[in-house]
Order: sequence, then structure tokens, then C-alpha cells
Amino acid sequence: MNKKLLIVDDEAHIRMLIEQTLEDLEDEGVELLFADNGEKALSIIQEERPDLVFLDVMMPKMNGMEVCQRVKKELKLTEVYIILLTAKGQEVDRQKGLDMGADRYMTKPFDPDEMFAIAEEILKK
Amino acid sequence: MNSSTSQKALKQILKRDAETRGLLENLCAGLGVEFSFEDAEGNVLWGDPGQFSQAAVLEHQQEELGTFRYDNPRALTLLDALKVLFLKEWEKKKIGKEVLGLYREINMIYGLSEMISEKIDAESIARVTLEEATQIINTTHGLFLMLDADTERVVEVAHFGESPLRDTFIQDQEEVLRELIRRGTSAIVPASRVASNPALSHLKAVMYAPLKVKHRTLGMVILGHQEAQDYTAAELKLLTTITLQSATAIESAHLYQKGLREVREREEAIRKIHDASQKFVPSEFIRSLGRDHITEVSLGDLAEREVTVVFADIRGFTTISETLDPRDNFLFVNAFNIRMGPIIRRHGGFIMQYLGDGFMALFPEGSQGALSASVEMQERLREYNAERALKNRMPVQVGIGMQNGKLIMGITGDSERLDAAIISDTVNTAARIEGLSKHYGTSILLTQECKDSLTDPGRFDFRYLGRVQLKGKNKPIDLFECIDGDEPELKRHKLQNLAVFTQGMDRYFNREFAMAAVTFQQIYKLDERDLPAKLFLNRAAHLITQEIEENWEGVEMMTTK
Repeated sequence: MNKKLLIVDDEAHIRMLIEQTLEDLEDEGVELLFADNGEKALSIIQEERPDLVFLDVMMPKMNGMEVCQRVKKELKLTEVYIILLTAKGQEVDRQKGLDMGADRYMTKPFDPDEMFAIAEEILKK
Repeated sequence: MNSSTSQKALKQILKRDAETRGLLENLCAGLGVEFSFEDAEGNVLWGDPGQFSQAAVLEHQQEELGTFRYDNPRALTLLDALKVLFLKEWEKKKIGKEVLGLYREINMIYGLSEMISEKIDAESIARVTLEEATQIINTTHGLFLMLDADTERVVEVAHFGESPLRDTFIQDQEEVLRELIRRGTSAIVPASRVASNPALSHLKAVMYAPLKVKHRTLGMVILGHQEAQDYTAAELKLLTTITLQSATAIESAHLYQKGLREVREREEAIRKIHDASQKFVPSEFIRSLGRDHITEVSLGDLAEREVTVVFADIRGFTTISETLDPRDNFLFVNAFNIRMGPIIRRHGGFIMQYLGDGFMALFPEGSQGALSASVEMQERLREYNAERALKNRMPVQVGIGMQNGKLIMGITGDSERLDAAIISDTVNTAARIEGLSKHYGTSILLTQECKDSLTDPGRFDFRYLGRVQLKGKNKPIDLFECIDGDEPELKRHKLQNLAVFTQGMDRYFNREFAMAAVTFQQIYKLDERDLPAKLFLNRAAHLITQEIEENWEGVEMMTTK
């Protein structure tokens, strides 16, 4: 499986958590990429064309919604599967995120097992 | 494939991380050496192992991590560098793992609190709590206990893990358990204490935490393992966090159910009042006023309806009641009413008022139902009389009279005392007709209007009984008896002689009184229970000797009410 997965979150401990959660995918040949803000995320997406992106919504500089909209609506990179991550209680953003072209939606605190299962399922497609 | 943390750390340094790879390449170039590395499973992570003659083992915490191969001893500096890089990476991964473990716990408790907040009974909450606790705490046995607030008994709400002692455990240890619950503390029981307690002989490790709400303790959760376990303070804290959630949920569930119970009790009380009020004031009456419930009616509410009014009256009630004391009298009237009420309802009517020795019923749907009910009432009465005969009791006769017409239903009284009332001339007429049924000796007596409004008159047989003018009224009324109310033999007689009877009536109205008298005499002789025949025989016989006025039309003037 020669795939790329991008983890985008401005909080280092969340990036580490997601990395820990998904590290077993590396054994299956998945390359994990990281970005700590929206701008960086956008340039990595353009250069690397990851298969899957876990994208935090609340971030400085460029938030997840905007990144999502740029990728899906402007760059038309529809094959990049984007999962938006939002904190519990911000579910109102859900529809907005989906309108921006996000493929899926997860709330934090996320269930590590569920996240792994979803990532595996999407990357195997 | 799930490789170990050490393996992953090595892979990260030697294969994935461009930064560490660059660093190692620079060192090799600077030192003018080369090396290879394969991990404990033989996966080559760097260089070509076949190229080198020397080997050194990379160890960490007595674990063999892999083989470092080289030729030049200066390359061992690279091994040192590799060790330092590994340690950093390994620590990072280890912390990452621990943090993820903690995160799982947080997520679990988050999920638990959501899950149990949906449960509304202690048992479900207890089950979910134990299930979740097993997910994060290594345990084989669990007990969810609650202290019954009333009986002070310790009760098991849920459990997992079987033991031969479970059934007797609570019973034997109740004193201790109750005391622990009262104290509301949590603890890891020292292994020596677990071992010395025969009740815990199936376990090697035990810890418990209270189900605490504010200052009260509702119960406790005990977890145990059949193998020796080093339960940590962190695990106990976790259990305490879980039990705190459960306790709060149980308290909410209790309050919820208490509230629910109170609401139900109130609803039940209201329903009973409603049911009772419906029996005192018929719901049909309330509905006729355009209201759904008696609480909605107000003084002055009224509605005009076209109805059939039926009066039923126990004949000779005075005679019967003279033989009974007041209590038995009441029982007798009730015995009658109990039998008649359902018949009225079945035919679409309702009893508007009980009148001591009878009742008034209204049929909003008209005379067909009213007459059907009347016939059935007479049938039911004959059965009742058969029962009474077996007990040597006097038979009961009932007279029924009915009339159609407009009627005003309304709520009358004052602000302190209301009653359902009807005001109508139709009611007076129906009551008089019923009175006349006694005078004519008929079981069911009705007016022409009533008969004409029948939707299916063919189902009944009638005899025309002439005209009357009620006291205080100007218009004469044509009367009919419905002979279906009579006992079968009498009905057969009346049917067989119907033509003759009609002939008698014709002669009577043609003032051929002698001929009429003969005719009625003839019929009466055939069955002396034919009282209308007897009545007209007497009238005709009386008129033979009377001087008849020019405008005589055979209208009977009723001088009494």
C-alpha cells in the first residue's frame, strides 16, 4: 500500500495522538505526513497529493474549513479524502464542513480504534 | 503486523526520518566508514550486512534490538550515535503510547457518561458501568452494590464473573459492606488481606470505589482479579471517576422515575375523576355541548338537539316498595337499573336521569334505536322476572313511553353548584305518554311522530290506539303501541287479531259504538291480558248510552297529568 496520510492540527499533542493511533499503518506502507497549520497543510496537499487528510477545523492562519474549500472547490482535488476534526460541542459546523466539500466528520475526543478503522478502510479503497 | 515500540523507533531513525538519515550519512562520510544494521527480526534497515566482518549488538533494557555490522572500529562512534538517537525516539514513542492510553481512558469515560446519561434505571447503569470498567481495568470479577435506603440492605444490582461464593458473599459480608458504603471511601485491598479473607478466596486482587452523590453514598463497585494484579493508584482513580459518573446517573434516574411516578399518579387520579364524572354526567351530554370534558363546561352552555326521549317506569313500585325496607328498596331499584343501562347504551342512547322508580333516557340518533332498546328492555325484564320467580319474588312490570322532538341541553345552577339539565316540552310529553301506557295497559307506547321517524319500521308491529289530548295541550296526539314489547303469546294474539282490532277502531271512530264494543269484546275474550282491547270495549260500551256531540272526533281528553 503506497499511500500518503496527512495529519493537520495546530496542537502538537493531538498530532502525536493521531500519529500514535495510526502508526501501525506505517507497517503497511503508509507514509504519515504532518502539518501544524492550514497554509502548510495546503502546500503539502498540493505537492504530495495525500490520499487521506485528518484536518482540524480550529486552527490559526487558515482554518480547516478554508483549507477544505480551497482543496475541493478551487483546486478540484476531489480524490483527496478529507475528514474534518472538530471539538465536541461544535457540531453546528458539521453541515458547513460538508458544504465545503469535506467527505467525513469526526469529533474530538475521537475514539482511537474508530479512527484507525476508518483510516484503514479509506486507504484500502 | 504489530511491531514493537523499539522496532518502530529504529525504523523511524534509519529509514523514515530524513533528518536522522542525513545525520548518519554525514557522520559516515566524515569518519570515512560504513556500517549496516538489521533489526532483531533480521530486517535490514541500513547498508548491506554481507559486506562487513565485525558485528556489535545494540541492546536496550536487556533487549537485543539488532546487529550493527562494520569493518573499521571507528564506526563504533556511529553505534553510540545510533544509541542516543534510538533512546530519544524510543522515549518519544513511549510517552506517545502512554498519552494515547490516557486519551483512550478519557474517551471511554466521555462515552460512558454519554451512555449512562441515556439510561433511566439503576440496573442498566450498573451493567454499562461494569462493562466499561472491564475495558480499561484488568479485572475478572465485578460487583455493583447498592444500599437500599429503606431497609438498609445491601443489594446486588449487577455483576460479572462467576464464583461459588457469589450467592453468599453479600449475605456473609453484609455488615462489612454496609460499613464500607457508609464510609464512602475507595481503596486497593492489600494482597495479604485478600488472601486472608475466605469470602475472597477466588480472587487475588481486589479494589473498590463508592457510588457517591454529594454527601451520600448510594453503594459501591468492587472489582477483582483471580490472578495476582498490581492495581495502581491511577487505576483506582479511574474506577472512582467511573463510579462517580454512575452514582450521578443513578441519582438522576431516581429523580426522573420519582417524577414520572408522580405524574402517573396524578394522571391516574385525574382519569379516575374523569371516569367518575362521566358516570354522573354522561359524556354524550358534554359532547353535545361541544365540549370534550366536564371541566370545560360553564354555566349557560347549551345546545339544541333533535332527540328521542324514552321514559321507563316500574309499575306498581309503591306496592313492591311497601314490602321492602329502604335498603332493600334501593337494592331492588339498582338491580333493575343495572340490567337496563347497558341496553340503552348498546342502542346509542344514554341515561339522562334516574327517577327513583325508573329513568329517562335520550337517544340522539333517533327513534329506531330507542324502540329497539325498549323492546330489548322488555325481553330482558321477562328473563329477570323468571329469575325472581325462582326466588318467589313478585314479577316487575315496566311501562315505556317515548316521544321525539327538540330538546335543549344545558348547564344550569349557579357558580357554586352546577348541574346538567334539559329543558323541553318533548320531555314532558314523553313522560305523559309513559304515564298513559299504564292507562292503556301497553308495554311500549309511542306517538305517531315517533313511529314516523323510524328508519326501519318494518322490524316492529304496531296497533293504533286512537288519539289523546294531553292536559294543557291543544294538539291531539295519535298513539301506537309496539306489541314487540309484549310477551310472545300475547304478541301472537294481538298479531292474529290485528285486522279485527283495526276494524273495531274504525267502527269506534265511525261512532258505531255497539259494533265496536262487540268487536273489542270478541278480542278481549280471546286473551284477557289484551288490556287495550278491554279499554276500548269499556269506552265503546260507555259511549253507547251517551249523547255524542256533533264535533266528536274520538279524542280522549286527559284531565290528569
